[in-house]
Amino acid sequence: MQNAWLIPLLPLLSFILLLLFGKKLKEASAYAGIGATLLSLMLAAAVMLGQWGGESYKAEGVWLSIGKHAVTMGYEINPLNALMLVIVTLVSFLVHVYSKSYMRGDDRFHVFFAYLGLFTFAMLGLVLSPNLLQVYMFWELVGLGSFLLIGYYYFKPEAKAAAKKAFIMTRIGDVGLFIGIILLYWQAGSFEYDEIFKAIADGTISSDMITLIAILIFVGAVGKSGQLPLHTWLPDAMEGPTPVSALIHAATMVAAGVYLVAAMYPLFEASSAAMTTVAVVGGITAIFAASIGLMQKDIKRVLAYSTVSQLGYMMLALGSGGYTAGVFHLMTHAFFKALLFLAAGSVIHAVHTQNIEEMGGLWRKLKITAPLFLIGALSISGFPLFSGFFSKDEILMATYGDGRYGLFVLAVLAAFFTAFYMFRLFFMVFAGSPSQEHGKVGESDGPMILPMAVLGVLAVLAGYLNTPWFGTFLADYLSHGPVRFAAEGEHGPIWIPILATAVSLAGILLAYLMYGKKKLSRNWLSRSLPSLSTIVYRKYYVDEAYDATVVRGTTGFSCLWSYVDRYLVEGAVNGTVSLIQWLGKRGSYMYDGQVQRIGAVAVAGLVIILLFFAAAGGYFS
Amino acid sequence: MDLQTLTSMNWGIMAPEFVVLGTALLLSLLDLFMTGKKSRRPLGILAIAGIAASFIFLYLQFGDPGASLFHDMYRLDSFSKAFKLILLLGTGLILVLAYDYQMKEEEEYRGEFYYLLLTALLGAMVMASSADMITLFIGLELLSLSSYVMAGLRKGKMESNEAAFKYVVTGGISTAVTLFGMSYIFGMTGETNLYAVGAALRDTSILQNQFLLVFAFFITFAGLTFKIASAPFHMWAPDVYQGSPLPVTAFLSVVSKTAGFALILRFFLLCFSSAPGIKGDQLLLQVQPYLAVLAGATMIAGNVIALRQRDIKRLFAYSSVAQAGYILVPFVSVSALLFETTWFYLLAYLFMNIGAFAVIQAVTAAAGTNDISGFEGLYKRSPWLAVAMTIFILSLAGIPLTAGFAGKFGIFMNALGTNPPHYILAGILMATTVVSYFYYFNIIGQMFFRTGQEGPRIQHKNGLLVVTAVCAAATLFFGIFPGAALHFFYNEFQFNDFFQVMEQK
Repeated sequence: MQNAWLIPLLPLLSFILLLLFGKKLKEASAYAGIGATLLSLMLAAAVMLGQWGGESYKAEGVWLSIGKHAVTMGYEINPLNALMLVIVTLVSFLVHVYSKSYMRGDDRFHVFFAYLGLFTFAMLGLVLSPNLLQVYMFWELVGLGSFLLIGYYYFKPEAKAAAKKAFIMTRIGDVGLFIGIILLYWQAGSFEYDEIFKAIADGTISSDMITLIAILIFVGAVGKSGQLPLHTWLPDAMEGPTPVSALIHAATMVAAGVYLVAAMYPLFEASSAAMTTVAVVGGITAIFAASIGLMQKDIKRVLAYSTVSQLGYMMLALGSGGYTAGVFHLMTHAFFKALLFLAAGSVIHAVHTQNIEEMGGLWRKLKITAPLFLIGALSISGFPLFSGFFSKDEILMATYGDGRYGLFVLAVLAAFFTAFYMFRLFFMVFAGSPSQEHGKVGESDGPMILPMAVLGVLAVLAGYLNTPWFGTFLADYLSHGPVRFAAEGEHGPIWIPILATAVSLAGILLAYLMYGKKKLSRNWLSRSLPSLSTIVYRKYYVDEAYDATVVRGTTGFSCLWSYVDRYLVEGAVNGTVSLIQWLGKRGSYMYDGQVQRIGAVAVAGLVIILLFFAAAGGYFS
Repeated sequence: MDLQTLTSMNWGIMAPEFVVLGTALLLSLLDLFMTGKKSRRPLGILAIAGIAASFIFLYLQFGDPGASLFHDMYRLDSFSKAFKLILLLGTGLILVLAYDYQMKEEEEYRGEFYYLLLTALLGAMVMASSADMITLFIGLELLSLSSYVMAGLRKGKMESNEAAFKYVVTGGISTAVTLFGMSYIFGMTGETNLYAVGAALRDTSILQNQFLLVFAFFITFAGLTFKIASAPFHMWAPDVYQGSPLPVTAFLSVVSKTAGFALILRFFLLCFSSAPGIKGDQLLLQVQPYLAVLAGATMIAGNVIALRQRDIKRLFAYSSVAQAGYILVPFVSVSALLFETTWFYLLAYLFMNIGAFAVIQAVTAAAGTNDISGFEGLYKRSPWLAVAMTIFILSLAGIPLTAGFAGKFGIFMNALGTNPPHYILAGILMATTVVSYFYYFNIIGQMFFRTGQEGPRIQHKNGLLVVTAVCAAATLFFGIFPGAALHFFYNEFQFNDFFQVMEQK
């Protein structure tokens, strides 16, 4: 526990090492990164075991004193961040191993691993921070790491644009976060979590102020976690290498917003308006992004929208008072989404395209990747007994229990969409016959398979950490933390899991009928699900009926949201950008260097100020 | 005053100034007697030695109790020491940088540059130490007049002439405005000493001229914004920065600006700290919204127009306008942390901006153009310069673990720590910072994300290397351990003598 500070430093060491000697190490660079993250993972696992029933730990020193105000820096271990440490180091380690093979032959191989090290350092630093200022500093560094990695293929103009967009869009959210943090400092007298919580509990901060600060902090989370309306950078971020998408834009960095809300939970809980904001933004994002995911053609963009949607789920859970549910889904999502991305990377590696319409029939060719992808897809769809099933159930129960029935309906609908688009993806990629020849399609090698296999196991097993049947280990574990929360979930109505299962099955079935039915793969699916054969027999009517209602409906719905996304949300963002650029253009015309104008502007400015003051001060009256 | 009283005075408190003055005189004489074709570079080393000596004298004064000459006309207090430290550091770095600057056909004016830089520094030091309108004005003009000549040092170049001309004309307007405002203050109080003015303005009889007093405040302030290049007197900056020789641009953007801030803080806080505004409120609180508008306009104008710039020197001119807007925020919000934040930000700004200008000097010299495309693929041609520039830009943009972030953090603490907090100002600061990422990151993009024409590797000159290394190290150090600088500040400069009238010793 005292050595926890080593956890982020090891990847930093790898970063510095690779920066200095990377060129000489070449392909051996990977080992530096892998070794560092493996050690971090082992330390993190030890820390988490120590936390199981143990005490929180905190070490810090004064970093800066301004006048009478002292700002400290240090690290803290509590159940929530110990869990995050394990998730981050584990996924980072697996992604390092995977990348060794995936990035082979790239002439900036060492740079890639150096960036990965920098990112991992920043993310772990963020998680370990005991105070908000430190969180903010690492928050920015994480953004910088993401910027570098998205722009890794800098010779592609889209990648460059996406990197810039991601950095600047998330920074818009940070405006709110930073102001919120400093306001909170002046209100609570500290950046430290525990002192802030104490101030809130003592009621020294007015409730309006709490609401304002909570919403400002949430704005930062919205930017980082790709919530509406600051989500547009996340799908574009898929221009980065696929392992990066798995690590940063699925499992860790984008979850930082959710983590921040969870870490600041007492602040949010103290304001019902803030909780409602979080829940509503999360719920709308969940359905919004899921519906856009229905029509995407790029395998990574589907997954990206799905990430946005799942993050919305987590926010919804937190906003509805489902603290455990939110954190639980964060964990399960980290595993199955990382798995999906790595599997997608394996597919892209094999066929050299990201367009799912050009894929097909890969089930036989990618004998290991395909079942692993299926596990991920089943898990995210909430198929019974897979991890996503349990965590999604808890979210639904929390939302229902909170009495937000409108959001509950949205969440159920989003679950249906999720199952549908994931299996649309699955069938289009793996079932049927190849729509194009891709030359020799070969399965990936060991270093790529192994991480996927580990994640595949976790994508199934992680769910059993918190189930109504075997025990609520996770909830018990988290309840030792600084955040007090009510026990939740177990006493929800029994029909919710049944409804969730039905909805998930319906989505899968619809996808099967639309994308899988005519294809060769029908055999294996009907064998595994014998009851389906009768329905398949009547496929004609069903198909027609679906086509007339559901399919048209969802297509229309999805198109509508895509337009909203493209023209309203992006439009507003682009509009702001154009406005600023227009101002810049006008402004630089004004600055044409005429000396008369320089003088005139100065004197006019002065006169305007004087006139305003005279008028406001009542000189004329 | 007879000779005896003159010699009995404690002239030692002006030792750093005398050293600078002596060096400047020595250099001008040497320059005069050197033959035409002889290289003037050794003079540069002499100038650096002069600055170093002055720095040592200043350092020796650190422990001294406050003292003054001519009844607080010239003061040795922690305020003057703190700011003179920045001024000397900045000028020293710029001299090292200038040593490597290629003057080409104007090489023969190099000597002139050295001693003009020193007289300009002398003016700046007077501005930091005076507490009397007359000496302050002399310092201001000494700095300005030296700068006007320096801007036009490249006599063969049209743009340099243009810069000097515009600088003189706008400088003249600003001087006129400043003097006009000061004359009102003198007229109402009959005093030129700032402490006496402050005391006179405390008198309730001033209330019958309350509007006049506020007008005098605004007029003087507007005139002085010329030196710090903030609204409404900021439009000269792009043209002058672009046309001046690069070390002069660096001087204007760092040293001259720091001196301007020192003057503004000293002048307005001493004169108006307890002056009544209209309707009984404090004057300094009453003018806040108006100053906030000016600071906000400065940030917006600087950052937004910088977006359109292709010329790297113009871009940095707008960036430095924007930075002036940031540094004004603590002054506008008049919080308890005003001095340390302003001082720290100016210190951070010194390192990041001079460092950036050092890289710009190397890159523009190699590319032969001031266009931003000169930075294309810099990482390939000179990894060291590219990495150093990245550090400076990240710091200017206020990314954590750089001195710029620590500085901006302090500014935020100021803006939101007052009662009531300045939400709008803080919001504008943050939003314009985001806007600034567009152009700052564009430079980073040019350096790393662009292969560019495979130019030859850039030869590093020693002076340049020293400046970039010192600046980069300091930017990182003060970013990771800002406490070190502030600790030093609290130890050495108490600042409780700022408002104290000192008897001559």
